[in-house]
Amino acid sequence: MNSNAMPPCQAKCPIHMDVQGYVAAVARGDVQEADRIIRRTNPFPSVCGRICTRECESVCRRGKSVDEPVAIRALKRYAADYAGPGAGAEKADHIYPEKIAIVGAGPAGLTAAHDLALMGYSATVFESEDEPGGMLTRGIPRYRLPLDLVRSEVDRIRSLGVEIKTGYMLGRDISLQDLQKDFDAVFLGMGSEKSTCPECSGMELSGVWTAVEFLKDVSRGKKFNPGNKVIVIGGGHTAIDAARTCLRLGAGDVTIAYRRTIDEMPAGMDEVEDAREEGIRFEFLTAPEAFEGSGKVEKMRCVRMELDKSCGGKGKLTCVEDSAFEMEADTIILATGYVPRTEAVQELCTEGGDRLEIKDAAGATRTPGVFAGGDFVSGPTTVVQAIASGRKAADAVHSYLRGLDQSREAQEKVLRDLDDDVARLVPKAGREKPVCLDPGSRVHSFDEVEHVFSPEQARAEAARCLHCSLGAFVSRDCAVCLNCVLVCPYNVPRPGEEKAYIDMSQCQACGICAGQCPASAIDLGVEPKKELREKIRRVLDEAEKKSPGNFSFGYVCDFSKSRPGDLQGENVYTITRPGLGRIDVYELLAPFEAGAGEVLVAGCGEEACKFKDCSLWTRRNVQRASRVLESIGLEPGRVRIVE
Amino acid sequence: MIVAEVKPMDEIQDTLKKYSKVLITGCGSCVTVCLSGGAQQVEVLASSLRTARKQEGTPLEVGEETQVRQCDPMFIEQIRDKAAGYEAILSMGCGAGVQTMAETLGNIPVYPALDTVFFGGADGKGGFVELCAACGQCILSRTGGICPVARCAKSLTDGPCGGAQDGNCEVDKDTRCAWQLIYARMMRLGQLHLLKEITPPKAARVHPARLKREE
Repeated sequence: MNSNAMPPCQAKCPIHMDVQGYVAAVARGDVQEADRIIRRTNPFPSVCGRICTRECESVCRRGKSVDEPVAIRALKRYAADYAGPGAGAEKADHIYPEKIAIVGAGPAGLTAAHDLALMGYSATVFESEDEPGGMLTRGIPRYRLPLDLVRSEVDRIRSLGVEIKTGYMLGRDISLQDLQKDFDAVFLGMGSEKSTCPECSGMELSGVWTAVEFLKDVSRGKKFNPGNKVIVIGGGHTAIDAARTCLRLGAGDVTIAYRRTIDEMPAGMDEVEDAREEGIRFEFLTAPEAFEGSGKVEKMRCVRMELDKSCGGKGKLTCVEDSAFEMEADTIILATGYVPRTEAVQELCTEGGDRLEIKDAAGATRTPGVFAGGDFVSGPTTVVQAIASGRKAADAVHSYLRGLDQSREAQEKVLRDLDDDVARLVPKAGREKPVCLDPGSRVHSFDEVEHVFSPEQARAEAARCLHCSLGAFVSRDCAVCLNCVLVCPYNVPRPGEEKAYIDMSQCQACGICAGQCPASAIDLGVEPKKELREKIRRVLDEAEKKSPGNFSFGYVCDFSKSRPGDLQGENVYTITRPGLGRIDVYELLAPFEAGAGEVLVAGCGEEACKFKDCSLWTRRNVQRASRVLESIGLEPGRVRIVE
Repeated sequence: MIVAEVKPMDEIQDTLKKYSKVLITGCGSCVTVCLSGGAQQVEVLASSLRTARKQEGTPLEVGEETQVRQCDPMFIEQIRDKAAGYEAILSMGCGAGVQTMAETLGNIPVYPALDTVFFGGADGKGGFVELCAACGQCILSRTGGICPVARCAKSLTDGPCGGAQDGNCEVDKDTRCAWQLIYARMMRLGQLHLLKEITPPKAARVHPARLKREE
């Protein structure tokens, strides 16, 4: 029984990824398992490992209360990069006869296809461009997301039996009516790529671009010379992408003009920082009035804005009188907003409007059997939102076809913040930073800016996870001895009404209380006792079989620098586990029953241990086990700590 | 609560040497709380006995079981069938638990793994201290809540022996003189005058004491 409150990282993630699961797998060095856990809920790990807006990190309890958030996105990338092709997803064990058409091979459509294929449906994806991937292949620059990675994720989806037909545009090559005739359900995920432009004169001048068109052309390999001076108008991810791309195309002076302030920018602060490092300038509270030039744009006339934040929301913008000024420009790129193209599906739109009419959170349209999602419904959002939308649509299609009740997403209870009194006792550990190309050299190429963690970095970073909601819980066997209250280094357990009470939101999952509970009434969400005992039994059985009477047994902490192979000696059989505090005296003695000559315990020593007092209690348990050995006539040194 | 400690290993091994299959039974009450006879201790003792006997070449099969309370026959009944499969029982209950088990099971030998040492409570530092002698005639109302029967080395009930030095007992220098503690407490409570009253002698105890349920 674990706490029923979700860790904030998982709750905040639009696809509720099992963050702790894969982070723990990385900590113990099991990249394949990490990748498997990630792929259970996310068909685009390499993509999200690079460009996700990491809402999870923004709510990480380590970041909120202790030091800095766990670098979850970088760990996901590490798992995806190091796992290699892996075994691939298991195909569906049941095949349904229905066929589903999906329009748009962006992250929403491909996720829907992926999920439906795994459920056993035949999914066909129609894509208007010549390559699937949507904004992943056409909008995100290569220095942030290498193309071959997107291609390999798409290939994985194809390998599930999903057919992707490129060059089919809804309204041009196929119609919604045709699809409804030939397929049992339709999902529309055509994205949101139609630029909305400010009302400026001079839009027709050459050298004035919309960001999506510009990025699309660059990604297709079209040669561009933006000239020396570039102005990008907008404050979102696309504006930053366009600006940094211009630098790489040779522009010397790139400015992003945004009508509000840095606080309102939809782009992430890290992106702004990266752009600044590369020499991009920002003009805030600046709005264009006109683009001027003879045939080709030469300058932008603009005004200063004033932002009144007192009225709530994003605040009210007004022009500052007599503030007009000019900025020279060889190229102007507009990244001011995008809307979906709904011309081909007018029958699904609101009366007289161009917005799709959506009936529920799963994306049902006014026509039964036709669903929509991703940016096509929401307007431009993030890749993980699009994946979430594709997943919901797949579930909705399945429910529709099978006549099931739409499963409603349960409101998850989220683990509350760490109390200050507990947080200050958690040992600090700085966040690992991935190596990045230096700003001076990276602007000359489209080489990926951020590198993947080294295995050492990844393990160290993964060890920073606080295991939220996988801490200790007390069973009915509790004798209310309150030993847990005495031993907990974080002062979390309290005398309860009928038994000891351990507040899951504060527990650090070090396991010390479990190792010291005389009633064996405390267990942990992180590797429960049953799992641990089974693991010990398995390894001992193997040792008894392969090296009878001539082996040593080792406990190695997942979070220590030591690895099982580091334990010296012949025939050393080891198990690793997250923290050694919960290894109790019995677990130290049990290997001797099976004929072990020695039991070695490898932690990382007081200073480096991620858990307060964990090495102290490990040492005490080892001393107790030594005394027991002595009492039955065995050398006490046969159980010992090695560091 | 009842406080007990695990017997020396030699003694336990000696007791069990003629057996090849024993059941170790823990108790989930007092002896769990004082870290001597709960489920965890049962595992540790069972494992060390198995290892020791394996080393000697006379393997011992050990079963493990922990009752909610060994001092009630109703809980013992729960393991009657299981116990029948063993040659002997090694009880990690207090003296009361061992006897209840022996009485209830009748035809299986039951041996103690613990020495029951006192009635007491937690000392707040992880240890336990004797606080009550179960004399049957409580005088705590006259001694400021400090029992001289249990806590004075000589169990004096009408004042100190006079041998204390710096407030410590002459029998054990690490123990505070109970009467000195009583005096200080009574002074704090403003009840020193009560100490002038002579405590009447206690009636001799007749063992075993009994407590009957009211009809």
